[in-house]
Amino acid sequence: MDGERLSQLLDEARAHRLPRRDLLRRGAALGLSAPALAMLAAVTKPVLSRAQDSSNPFGVDPGQSLDVLMWDVGWGDEYALNALEIYKRLYPGVEIEYQGVQRVAEIAQPRFVAGDPPDVIEATLLDRAALVAEGLLADLSDLLAAPAYDTPDKTFGETLLSGTQTDAIFDGKPYAVNFSYGLQGIWYDDRVMQEHGWEYPSTWEDMLALCEEIKTAGLSPWTYQGRYPSYMTTVLWELIWKNGGIEAIAKIDNLEPDAWRQDAVRASVDALYQLADRDYFMPGTEGLTHTEAQAEWLQGKAVFIPCGTWLENEMKDVIPEGFQMTFKPVPPLAGGAVPFEGVSTFSGQPFVVPAEAKNVAGGKEFIRLLCSKENAGFFCGYAHSLTTIVDSCVGLDLGSAFNSALAAFQAAGDNRFAGPLYPSWYKPLADEETTQMGALLTKQITPDEYIDNVQQMADDIAADDSIPKFTREI
Amino acid sequence: MHHHKYRLIIPFVLPSALIYGVFVLWPYAQALYFSLTRWRGFSRNRPFVGLDNFERMLDDRLFWNALEHNALMLVVLPSATVALSLLFSALIAQGGRGLRGAEIYRIVSFFPQVMSAVVIGVLWSFVFHPNIGVLNGFLRVIGLGSLQRTWLGDPQWVLWAIALVAVWSSVGFFMILFIAGMQSIPTDLYDAATVDGASRWRAFFGITLPLLRDHLQVAFVFMGLSALDLFALVQVMAENGGPSRAADVIARYMYDLAFNKSQFGYATAIGVVLLILSLVLSVLVVQLTQRERIEF
Repeated sequence: MDGERLSQLLDEARAHRLPRRDLLRRGAALGLSAPALAMLAAVTKPVLSRAQDSSNPFGVDPGQSLDVLMWDVGWGDEYALNALEIYKRLYPGVEIEYQGVQRVAEIAQPRFVAGDPPDVIEATLLDRAALVAEGLLADLSDLLAAPAYDTPDKTFGETLLSGTQTDAIFDGKPYAVNFSYGLQGIWYDDRVMQEHGWEYPSTWEDMLALCEEIKTAGLSPWTYQGRYPSYMTTVLWELIWKNGGIEAIAKIDNLEPDAWRQDAVRASVDALYQLADRDYFMPGTEGLTHTEAQAEWLQGKAVFIPCGTWLENEMKDVIPEGFQMTFKPVPPLAGGAVPFEGVSTFSGQPFVVPAEAKNVAGGKEFIRLLCSKENAGFFCGYAHSLTTIVDSCVGLDLGSAFNSALAAFQAAGDNRFAGPLYPSWYKPLADEETTQMGALLTKQITPDEYIDNVQQMADDIAADDSIPKFTREI
Repeated sequence: MHHHKYRLIIPFVLPSALIYGVFVLWPYAQALYFSLTRWRGFSRNRPFVGLDNFERMLDDRLFWNALEHNALMLVVLPSATVALSLLFSALIAQGGRGLRGAEIYRIVSFFPQVMSAVVIGVLWSFVFHPNIGVLNGFLRVIGLGSLQRTWLGDPQWVLWAIALVAVWSSVGFFMILFIAGMQSIPTDLYDAATVDGASRWRAFFGITLPLLRDHLQVAFVFMGLSALDLFALVQVMAENGGPSRAADVIARYMYDLAFNKSQFGYATAIGVVLLILSLVLSVLVVQLTQRERIEF
């Protein structure tokens, strides 16, 4: 009797390309005896365990453990744990080794050196350019080409929002998948604006005029994340982009001579400097950490603050009752290449699979499930933020901060700017820029000195042949 | 007899010698080799580049910037810390007589020693907070509001703010060290001095200071070494070296290169230089203060 059912099952498996685990489950459901099941498992193992079909495109071996190293800050690690639940559902009995930590680099680095890296890593804190240069990351082309987990008739790559993965590509090959996605721009409390009858400006010139008005009213117009001046750098990038277009940004990324001296950059640096020069920043801003500055802003000590759409989630414990957190793009200088509605986006939380990992297939499968609609919707629901997965937050009403950002995203259409690539290619340049930005905003240096100093570092890097170089088209 | 002695000594010494060799000497040897490579710190691929890293240091303005700050701290920290802890310990313990409440001061001033540098850095970051910080608040209250600064955001002040914390956190330890030293000085020396009409200060310079030479030597070496380090405080209070890198120090720059910039080889070369500087410093201090020991 067992024999009859067994051969029937095997026929069925061959006809429908049934994955092995389904086959075994069916066998158990049909009431096969334990020895027969064992036999089934044995005979099907070589044929079916590495079957690559739409439900197991990388041929994951459920007998192989999965080792995940997760960065547990900012968005938390709930979404990674949730993805692991899906993984366990698909591969029951799989052994999971999971670490959710803050100091990912300190754990990952020795394991890379020892040739025993985890199977998948949230690599925000790792120098991906260096890892790629050392050949330590797996090429994820086959992951992008694989069928999506829960979006029918689409490949995994097609479920990712266009323009969200540019910094994951080195020399034309994808080495990471970015998960989180959002906008960067300027935030204010809409109640304050309403109360004073102020309107969010549509040009930078109007912004400066409004700041004067705010100052006269006895408020500080601006603050920023003080000891981390790079938040203001994103404002500068948007000004440059809206002024000179993506071509101006590409020149910077490609380390072209005098790229930081082009007119679009100079005009933007001057424009930003006006905030410092006219004393529009909240006194003491430069001594604060990012959360301290954001807390002061939430208490109404300043009207505008630059930040990404993670702001609400980051500050959720201290947002005062009734605060109307509202997002807007950076107002451009008059007569630029990109209209006001253009918006800066960021994508982050890059997940990588080390080339020398023991379970490369499992690592890729984890990323595929992580970026499933099911998991992205889960993330959206608790983090109130978009993801790089198309339509992941559809139909959710998530409050003023989220809704205003979503409105800005929709108004922007295709005018989306994913930021320059030099920070992921040349960290020393990004660092030097941040240092100089801090000095500029506290009037330690002039815009001319800022440009000279940053250009100097760009030239140094261009001349240093020990640093691998990358280029972008546009 | 002698053989018996070694048979006894070796089993006792061997384990710690082994541990010392594996965890201290061997890493030093490895570091010397890594400093001659262009290792990124991720793989076993360590291309040998000879003395390239050391040459690069000569032209690296960020390295010199950090070294300058260490040099400045090397001058300031040991002298300020030793002077203050000497003063306090003399007030508490010289000649067996101290101020009223000496016992309390002695205990309280040791508190910072039991806290980690990170905790101290975080606490003092609050003290230096521009708006709600105790320091600016205090200045406002006593009518010196014009002296308020954005201590950790101002390139002119950030290094001094950190120096203050470094001194604050070590004074207690050296105070205890000096008190122990003072208590081992026979009180009849002070009694004799008093009979001869010497003031407390005169006794301090004439008796206490000369008899504390060994303790002072230790204090200068310790504080000198911590002035060459300062990593934890800088990392917490002035991440990325502070505004305009005005509080950057070698140890932090080295960390940044190794763990953020994937330049492990170069960072190790800087570590080797730091090691040489520390050795030179220790030898110098010991040589300069070497005199004949006074028995009492």
